[in-house]
Amino acid sequence: MVRESSLHWGQKCRCLLLGLTVILILGAVVVFAAVIFARRRDPPAELLQWKGRGSTDNLKEIMLGRCFTYIRTVNPELRKDCLKIWETFKNAFISKNPCNITEQDYQPLMELAAQPILCNKTLLWSKTNELVHKYTKVQGNLLTMEDTLLGYMADGLTWCGNPSSSEINYQSCPEWHECANNPNLIYWKTASRAFAEAACGVVHVMLNGSINQPFGNSSIFGSVEVPHLNPKKVHLMKIWVMHNIGGQPSDSCSSSSIKELKSIIEGRNITFSCEDDHRAAQLIQCVGNPEEPACRVCRTES
Amino acid sequence: MESSNLVLQGLMLFLLLFLMGQANVYTRAGKKRWSGEGTSPHLESIFLGRCNEYISVVNPELSEKNCSAIWEAFESVLHKDPCSVLPSDYDLFINLSRHSIPRDKSLFWENNYYLVIAYADNARRLMPITDVLYGRVGDVINWCRQENGSDFDYHSCPTVEDCENNAVDSFWKRASSQYAHDSSGVIHVMLNGSEPSGAYPVEGFFAGYEIPNFQKDKVTQFEIWVMHEIGGPYLPVKLLKCLDYPAHADCIFNSAAESTQQRFPSLFGGKWDPSLMFFLFLTLASEIQL
Repeated sequence: MVRESSLHWGQKCRCLLLGLTVILILGAVVVFAAVIFARRRDPPAELLQWKGRGSTDNLKEIMLGRCFTYIRTVNPELRKDCLKIWETFKNAFISKNPCNITEQDYQPLMELAAQPILCNKTLLWSKTNELVHKYTKVQGNLLTMEDTLLGYMADGLTWCGNPSSSEINYQSCPEWHECANNPNLIYWKTASRAFAEAACGVVHVMLNGSINQPFGNSSIFGSVEVPHLNPKKVHLMKIWVMHNIGGQPSDSCSSSSIKELKSIIEGRNITFSCEDDHRAAQLIQCVGNPEEPACRVCRTES
Repeated sequence: MESSNLVLQGLMLFLLLFLMGQANVYTRAGKKRWSGEGTSPHLESIFLGRCNEYISVVNPELSEKNCSAIWEAFESVLHKDPCSVLPSDYDLFINLSRHSIPRDKSLFWENNYYLVIAYADNARRLMPITDVLYGRVGDVINWCRQENGSDFDYHSCPTVEDCENNAVDSFWKRASSQYAHDSSGVIHVMLNGSEPSGAYPVEGFFAGYEIPNFQKDKVTQFEIWVMHEIGGPYLPVKLLKCLDYPAHADCIFNSAAESTQQRFPSLFGGKWDPSLMFFLFLTLASEIQL
């Protein structure tokens, strides 16, 4: 009797142990699966954090739309594949560390999106962003970098990628002081270099006479565009130094900053000329300030 | 004999096929159905690009707008015949894309598109209809549905000469009505005084769809600028025209001369044709019961 009950008890024990083991194993499996699943849901790579604002929202739609608008209305003679241009642009910075972008990264895009620049049409600029673009938009004869396809598509936008991720980083992008070789700056340097190399004939430049140094060799104009003008193609550079419309008129063409530019340009065998407050550009300033003395028009009719 | 027969038959067959091929080509690409140009290529991309750019860059307060939904509402005109599109067919599109227009910033116009665009400066100075979201997406592009199909017609589209209820005209009628309805404060109107048929087109959009929709309790004043070719009275706009003719007598600056021009021409000032102004004032007064 005792033996029977002990045997019975042993069987129960074993059943219990077996059941417990099964439950434990199942539990372990569940926990293991949960961990794996949770891990899978997290992004595989960590998004790097930067101090600047993230890539522009809807970057692809904006750039594609601009590309199609450009080839359709701004420059209908240009035949380009906008979808391919977008892909090539994206490949330049996607999956890369945004502190390690090089001009080579953008070379395929440069070749794909390059356009012929007519002689005497190039307008370079430094520290006159708003005025120079109002001017070209209205006057329509000269072209700034931002009036070419590459500049038109990217103007005012921000973008960067993330290493080991194929996504555009919309959270943050590096500012200039965080790393100089960021996707935006390198883009503008590469495109500006190509733009300067393509210039021929007369090159116009709009500089700002109301700041300390109208010409600085740290600007893109001074560090990238001037050195890459081709003296075999460009024979004359015409500078317009514009001043704030309400400010003191001054003769910036004889300032040391402009004299420095003059010696650089003449040293490269390009003729140099300078004009303060070029009339046509000043008219644009007057549109916003018609009351200014410099904007008074001589009335010839009653 | 037989072989030459065969050769002859072969040649005739070839000629027949060739002619048929030519006829086919002619009927396909020859005569256009409508008198206007076809739907703009890459319409959807241009539309979405403009919409996204507007809400992300130009007017970021509108970042909650859904450009895909706006495109779908716009595209719904594909459900109707190319000559049966009514302004009300764009009601959903307008509802999704409308937004407030800053007070005193509205600019209406007739016959001077490029000058208006230059002066308005991308919504920074004034906000004409093309600087409002629903106007921006439709600007300078063209669209219509195929007569016997449900896709866009890229060959030709009807204009008013073909039929009144076409996709593009109905769009602008609807958009213009909304723009006038949402405008408040000082209303600016730029007319072309050098237009041979008259500065104020009696059958134009301004007359037909904008004047009737102004809200009398929101509008405080009308400022009419009648611009002439280079001799125009309103200085800032005239200055823009001077860009093309900087050596013209009207464009020579003289800081010593006193400006005798009024900066904001009033309704009854200046040297415009008085009957024109009287007519315009009467129309405005009667329409909105000032």
